[in-house]
Amino acid sequence: MSTEKLLNGLRIIDLSMGWAGPLAARNLADMGAQVIKVESCTHFDWWRSWEATPEWIADNGAEKALPYLSVNRNKLDITLDLESSVGRQLLLDLVARADVVIENYSGSVLPKLKLDYPHLKAVNKELVMVSMPAFGSTGPWANYRAYGSTVEHSSGLPHLTGSAHQPPAMQHVALGDAIGGLNGTAALLSALWHKKKTGRGQFVDLSQVECLIPLGAEGILHQAVNNSPPPRTGNDHPDFSPHGVYPCQGDDQWILIQIMSETEWSALQSLCAELSQFGDISDRLARRPALNKTLAQWTANQSSPALMAHLQDLGITAATLNNGIDLLKNQQHQARGYMQLLDRAFVGSQPHPSLPFRNGSEPSPLQNPAPTLGQHNKEVLGGILGLSDAELEKLTLEGVIGDKPKLPN
Amino acid sequence: MQQTDTTNNKPFDGLKVVDISGTVATSYACKLFADYGARVTNVEPPQGFPTRQLKPFLPKAQGEEPVSAMHGYLHCNKASMVGNHNNLATEPAITQADLIIYNPATLPSEDSLAGININTCAISWFGLTGPYAQYQGSDGVIQALTGLMKGIGEKDGPPIIPNGVQAQIVGGLCAFNGALGHLLGQLMGNLTQPFALDNSIFEANMCLTDLMAINAFNDNPLPPRMGINRFPPSYPLGIWPCKDGWLGVTALTPSQWRAFCLLLCLDDFIDVDFFNASINRLASADVLEPAIMRALESCSAEALFHKGQAMRIPLARVPTMEELFTVDQYVSRQAFSSISMNDKTFLAPSIPFRLFTTPPHFGGRVAALGEDNPIATEAKV
Repeated sequence: MSTEKLLNGLRIIDLSMGWAGPLAARNLADMGAQVIKVESCTHFDWWRSWEATPEWIADNGAEKALPYLSVNRNKLDITLDLESSVGRQLLLDLVARADVVIENYSGSVLPKLKLDYPHLKAVNKELVMVSMPAFGSTGPWANYRAYGSTVEHSSGLPHLTGSAHQPPAMQHVALGDAIGGLNGTAALLSALWHKKKTGRGQFVDLSQVECLIPLGAEGILHQAVNNSPPPRTGNDHPDFSPHGVYPCQGDDQWILIQIMSETEWSALQSLCAELSQFGDISDRLARRPALNKTLAQWTANQSSPALMAHLQDLGITAATLNNGIDLLKNQQHQARGYMQLLDRAFVGSQPHPSLPFRNGSEPSPLQNPAPTLGQHNKEVLGGILGLSDAELEKLTLEGVIGDKPKLPN
Repeated sequence: MQQTDTTNNKPFDGLKVVDISGTVATSYACKLFADYGARVTNVEPPQGFPTRQLKPFLPKAQGEEPVSAMHGYLHCNKASMVGNHNNLATEPAITQADLIIYNPATLPSEDSLAGININTCAISWFGLTGPYAQYQGSDGVIQALTGLMKGIGEKDGPPIIPNGVQAQIVGGLCAFNGALGHLLGQLMGNLTQPFALDNSIFEANMCLTDLMAINAFNDNPLPPRMGINRFPPSYPLGIWPCKDGWLGVTALTPSQWRAFCLLLCLDDFIDVDFFNASINRLASADVLEPAIMRALESCSAEALFHKGQAMRIPLARVPTMEELFTVDQYVSRQAFSSISMNDKTFLAPSIPFRLFTTPPHFGGRVAALGEDNPIATEAKV
């Protein structure tokens, strides 16, 4: 049995939106779980757009949002107006037949809809529910709202990045979302393991901010044991030199070089005669500015990817600084088949990252692209809940289900 | 909410996991199992795992050996034994394990685990195959190659290396997911053979930046680095000083932007339709920023945070390392818990996800090297 069928037989109701929750569920979909994403025509996943307009709807913009497509592959998609009693009941009927519900609304949304854990547990005693609001489901900030950037702000990480003369510096890329998503997967799998062992479901609470805190472990532990934060030294390392990012040939081209042993230093010296003026590690730390300047002069006229290959062949820790275009051409990714192409209506063939683990030498094959809005209304509501075509037609006419986004009145 | 299980059961009770490498990534993957009840055994070489050499160290008296707080954070609630790494395949702890987690670079030879019929989970910088397989890795190397680093820092550079062991933590987390997913597949009867997972820390960290590649594929690459705390696709999205600390601001939607203007009395901008689009605000950041900074400098970040959240604006305090331990939200949730090591205690991050009925260990004790050797009474190192 290959990885893409590992979790066949599990059914997950995915009420999450944006990046973190959908990524958490996608990882299980990639492993074969049936993941049913639930949106509504007016409250569609905000990652389709947070600035929807009539023109955007007319242009099928909801089906072209690349971030949405990336984290929702291998899922089924239905629409339900959860503010209507019919839509709410249909969701409860689905939950009764599911193993898991995952959601990442801010804390007050599901209780208002009477779809929070106590209500869902009433229809499915063995349910696992993973709730992953930004600050967790308990505490004074439980109802506060956040994006991935807010999560990063709140984690303390910005105070560990950059130099003392700079403000706390974000890494961004909505760091909190992706890390929250990975932890969401861990939470889902852990609770499912327990359920398969014992038959018992439970509520699982995940704070996206707390997910990011371990990434700052080194600085946090420094504060904990020394009662002071680590100094913000930019790219300088307290114990190693040279250690930094150096310019290369071309516009905004850079190479990272981290010399972390005398063996690496000797290898680097053998390439660059100008470095012979610098000695052992204590000399190199003492004369760090001069050393960095000398090394930067040497790297400045070289191709970053070629220099990386040359340095790595000599056992030196070095890397070119890639951008998105570079990632598409990266030879390691290409050799391992990391990006897989999936055809999708409205956008054609699109690259998808593989799962970051593989059982054997090949990545787990990806099966299906992200669904269109409401694409599986009939398959899910008819196939699982047994609704007739006439009943589905009635739901469509009443606006409970549909396959086109609508702007709220 | 559910009551906690009074029998103190943990989800992974009975599961036996072995770490034979003790890198940050293998240790973190095993930590997640240990914190939820698995019997995790570190089979260490005589000199101990590499994590024992990692900073920061606990305060020590003159003449004492340094003791790594990082090792303590990564290894509480685990057993430690000293094993024969030249003959791993016959170590009882290994032959009786449900899962072995390792970094291939730490094995004495490529066939150290040959012939064992047990689930394995290899975690390496680049994976077991491909032209980078033997390359030197580091957290910085991964952050450079994934594209994360290039977006951080001053516009004219150089880009900034993020702090710490972040890439390895992400790699360990993904490996935990892969291993547990496969164990669950076995439990469900969907997988009947032992698995041999190949986890790449490079690929694990691509979850942060794969959208860069996807956008580039669609001829819409991200713009070059824009400066510290300035990023696409929106503005304001950054960190600014207030009179009592730092405020994190994200205004994405038109309503969030207008509410933010209301909050700071930025009357000149509030009714400008052009600024309703996030991309237009980003293009006008140099015009908007001085006004925002002026408005913030006399305000309290703490007060703005709560007031802004009440107005549905996702604002944040940006706590310093010192403040982090006293944030009431984090204290109320026990986001940090106490590690006991060498007769000392210190706070460290708790496991981030909480199973309510079967809660994790919060903190715990760290075993001394070889403390759990099979003939423990005589062989403590």
